[in-house]
Amino acid sequence: MKALATIAGRRAVAAALLGFATLLPLGAQAADPGITDNEITIGLFGPLSGPLIAYGIDPLNAAKMLYEDVNARGGIHGRKVKLVIEDDKCTPNDLVAVVKKLTTVDKVFILHGGSCTAAVAAAQEFVGREKMPMMMLNAAGDNAVFPPQRYIFGSFQGTQRTYASSLTEFAQKQLKAKRIAVIVHDDDYGRANLATARAVAESLGMQVVAAERIPPNITDVTAPMLNIRAAKPDVILSGAYPAPAVLIAQKYGEYGMTDIPLLQAAQGIPTPSVFAKNVGNDAVLKNFYHTWAFNDIGDPALKEKWSAMYKKANPGREPGPFMISGAPSALATIAALEKAGRNVTRESFVAAMESLDIKPEIMAGPIKFGPDRRDGLRHMLVIKYDGKTQKAMPGVYSWDGKSGM
Amino acid sequence: MFGSPTLRQLAPLLALVLGALALQQLLPQYFLYVGNLLMMYVILVIGLDLLIGWSGQFAFAHIAFFGIGIYATTILGTRYDLPFLIAMPVAAMLAGAVGFLIAFPATRLRAVYLALATFAFAECAQWVARTWDSVTKGADGLQIPPTSILGYAVGNDQHAFPVVAIILALVLAATLYLQRSRFARSMSAIRESEHVASASGIDVKRVKILSFTLSAIYAGVAGGVYTLFNSFVNPDILGVAQLVLVLTMLVVGGSGSIAGCVLGAVLIGILPEVLRAAPRSMLVWQEFFYGLILVLAIMFMPRGFFGAWQAWRDRARHAADKRDAQASQDTRLRAKASTEASS
Amino acid sequence: MSTIIVQAVVSGIVTGCIYALVALSLVIIFKTTDVVNFGGGEFVMVGSFLALFALVYLGVGYALALLLAAVAMFALGVTFDAVTMNRIGGRLYTRQTELVPTIVATIGLSYLLKGIVRVVPYTEEPRRIPPLFNAPPIFVGDVVIQAQDVVIVVATTLIMIGLWAFFRFTMAGRALRAISQNARAACLSGMPVRTLRMVVWGLSAGIAAVAGVLFAPKLLITPDSGTLVMFAFAAAIVGGFTSLPGCVVGGIVLGVTQNLVGVLIAPQAISVTPFFIIMVVLLLRPQGLFGDAIALKKV
Repeated sequence: MKALATIAGRRAVAAALLGFATLLPLGAQAADPGITDNEITIGLFGPLSGPLIAYGIDPLNAAKMLYEDVNARGGIHGRKVKLVIEDDKCTPNDLVAVVKKLTTVDKVFILHGGSCTAAVAAAQEFVGREKMPMMMLNAAGDNAVFPPQRYIFGSFQGTQRTYASSLTEFAQKQLKAKRIAVIVHDDDYGRANLATARAVAESLGMQVVAAERIPPNITDVTAPMLNIRAAKPDVILSGAYPAPAVLIAQKYGEYGMTDIPLLQAAQGIPTPSVFAKNVGNDAVLKNFYHTWAFNDIGDPALKEKWSAMYKKANPGREPGPFMISGAPSALATIAALEKAGRNVTRESFVAAMESLDIKPEIMAGPIKFGPDRRDGLRHMLVIKYDGKTQKAMPGVYSWDGKSGM
Repeated sequence: MFGSPTLRQLAPLLALVLGALALQQLLPQYFLYVGNLLMMYVILVIGLDLLIGWSGQFAFAHIAFFGIGIYATTILGTRYDLPFLIAMPVAAMLAGAVGFLIAFPATRLRAVYLALATFAFAECAQWVARTWDSVTKGADGLQIPPTSILGYAVGNDQHAFPVVAIILALVLAATLYLQRSRFARSMSAIRESEHVASASGIDVKRVKILSFTLSAIYAGVAGGVYTLFNSFVNPDILGVAQLVLVLTMLVVGGSGSIAGCVLGAVLIGILPEVLRAAPRSMLVWQEFFYGLILVLAIMFMPRGFFGAWQAWRDRARHAADKRDAQASQDTRLRAKASTEASS
Repeated sequence: MSTIIVQAVVSGIVTGCIYALVALSLVIIFKTTDVVNFGGGEFVMVGSFLALFALVYLGVGYALALLLAAVAMFALGVTFDAVTMNRIGGRLYTRQTELVPTIVATIGLSYLLKGIVRVVPYTEEPRRIPPLFNAPPIFVGDVVIQAQDVVIVVATTLIMIGLWAFFRFTMAGRALRAISQNARAACLSGMPVRTLRMVVWGLSAGIAAVAGVLFAPKLLITPDSGTLVMFAFAAAIVGGFTSLPGCVVGGIVLGVTQNLVGVLIAPQAISVTPFFIIMVVLLLRPQGLFGDAIALKKV
């Protein structure tokens, strides 16, 4: 009632003052559900159960923490953010159910979630039809952002294409490599990774001498590593997941290949110290590099700041390795909501997102979208890790938005 | 048992379709989506029950046929522009044909060997879906475009809901007829004892192969239904997790009866949605509870919820009969006594 | 090329021995109770996590950690049989329809165990147990062999021989063989069938724990490591599903084939190899390489 009265009152005043001013207050009564005068409802989801919880619980908590932080500072244009949290299990069926529930039952204003590319891709058609803006939580998201769909924004920490392109560029510029070997999984991530590595290598005058596609549940990487050794590469690019990444590094050590630099995409090395312990022999890591989308490694104070913030918001819980990956999407969403102004609608939010260009201090590069661009981050750092210390290598590496498409 | 199903059995099917038409307008899309999903699972579970519950063949290949149904319906629709009304039955027949082919070697195997061979077949099918890029688009997955049926556009859950209900009603009706056929009795004879069945003149091999084929066709139909309300499929749908889910539905509901299948599909299918109301910290325990439900159900309700309910009803009826008998005897005695007293 | 092949074969033998150990734990249950344990992989996973926790949190030595894990898993196996399998399998499984409850119960077990491990915070990332010996690798020409590899092969062989001797020469082992032949008759002749079955489940879980400790330095452990059971099924089927030496041969055949497929065809085909082998073996020679001919049992 109070809200109605304010709007009516304001309209009366405005109409009395200026004839054309009726446009303004009319805009303020957002036609879209999920937004009132003092509240914006956001549907937040990620895998909170099942095999992929490491990609869900902490990142989701990090996003929640940032929204709560905004609320504590007075909200966005006078509106507090209200969250409806759901578990998508990272499976297409569950994610689609969650997206439909949040949209048609909870009637949220926008969606923010999804940690797995295939699951997000399953919701594309629905959010497009309902004209429902959806920001991915922390999925790399290649198949959900290429080709770009108007209502889906994602890849806030880089696509697989960005990972592969950055590592290939680094291999050429810093390591002067001519022959590269690529080892990836035989899934959608692996395909995007391999295609990009090939394209970038070709444009930089390098040669892909081995391309090994391995199953994610592989128990013995002898065969692919022997194939790679036989191809005599100058560098090895790995897009493997955590467990196979360790197996690869172990075999690489066993077969005395440690003079060949090993370049690992970020998904394979959640916590570097755990990775080194699993490999079991720091000598193996004398030529080891990995990608990273965040500035916390070069800046311990920044790392400590985020960790302390997380622990304060989630008492009794240590931040997991992927915690920080939940931050950029929340920062971007908040920035776009602020940019869209008090009279935000779903459409004006999409417009604000589309013209977003921010550079949070934690990120390696700008988060930027455009009319034909739905992947947020195209810049990447390369970190050298010797089993004890991490060192950011000079330069920022990137993807050109075309290679490997 | 012979003959057509009674009107009392067919009436709920009509109610299902009419109810779907009414609810289509009332419910938000999310509930319609869950409804579509549950109806699809019912078809899938009944198909599995034909093998496990009716003819006692423990085969694990069901999800592979389901996958064939999804992929074939989609590909026939997109590549060859076949309308759904043709694509779906063709896909189901294709699933049936593959089922028929693997039934020949599979039915030679017994018990656990059959389970493992068909399990291996399902894993191979998933691998093919992941590797055969030119047809299935591999791990990237396939977009399923909206379809239309005789000019009726099926673009969202709301449109799909009555269509899925009609398909389910047809499948249930067909199953009711099947249940009363000579073939069904041959299947249960084989389940009880292959030797006795064969001695009483049943062609065991033929019945087994037919039930394998039929079961695969059901799974193929379920796959076609999947394409009506989903817009994306990738090889993950052919995974072990899906198979275990369907098996759980069958076991918890109660194999060997249509009502048990429906009950199981609805109870287990709706569980993850009900659990959304649980506190967030409890969500990580889902796998554990899932396992616990399976173990407890098998321990305490070997014939599922439906079997348990039947047993309880029979016991109650038995007790009531006994009480009635006792009571009427009492009245008779009392009447007798009173007449004796008055005379 | 020949070095590559030799290296692939050597490495395949070691991985195959891990499959074989898990297969042994499945086969001793199947041999005596006709139950296929789909939770066998989770026994391995839980066993290796228990050993890891003992090493990390209790700070005990390697041998003690292994012992603790094996004993704890033995108890778990016994408990599962006593509580669950005994209830649903009070009658003996003679018809295939009764196969369903046992398989479903073990699938339930696998989710139960996975679900418990999942909520332990330490398990979010893959973990490793340090190898038993930190000896330098052995070079045979260009072929590398790790010390841990030798341990795995020796341990597998010893466990296989031990089990074989147990079934052959001890009273309990003979009783178990009698049960597998005809449980009802064994029961009538006064054998403690129930106790023996519990012992077998415990033994199986204990072997799984040993397998877990041996493989964890090589393969890492996650709550989802239980999928390893698929490879064990393939190994067991090649070996005939009732034969102990068959398991070892089957495991090695599988491990070597996987590596050769990876080297000669494509690593993409590695994951489908075990399932392809299962189908081919069951079609051509259902009794496997060493199994007894499959007879229709106890009509």
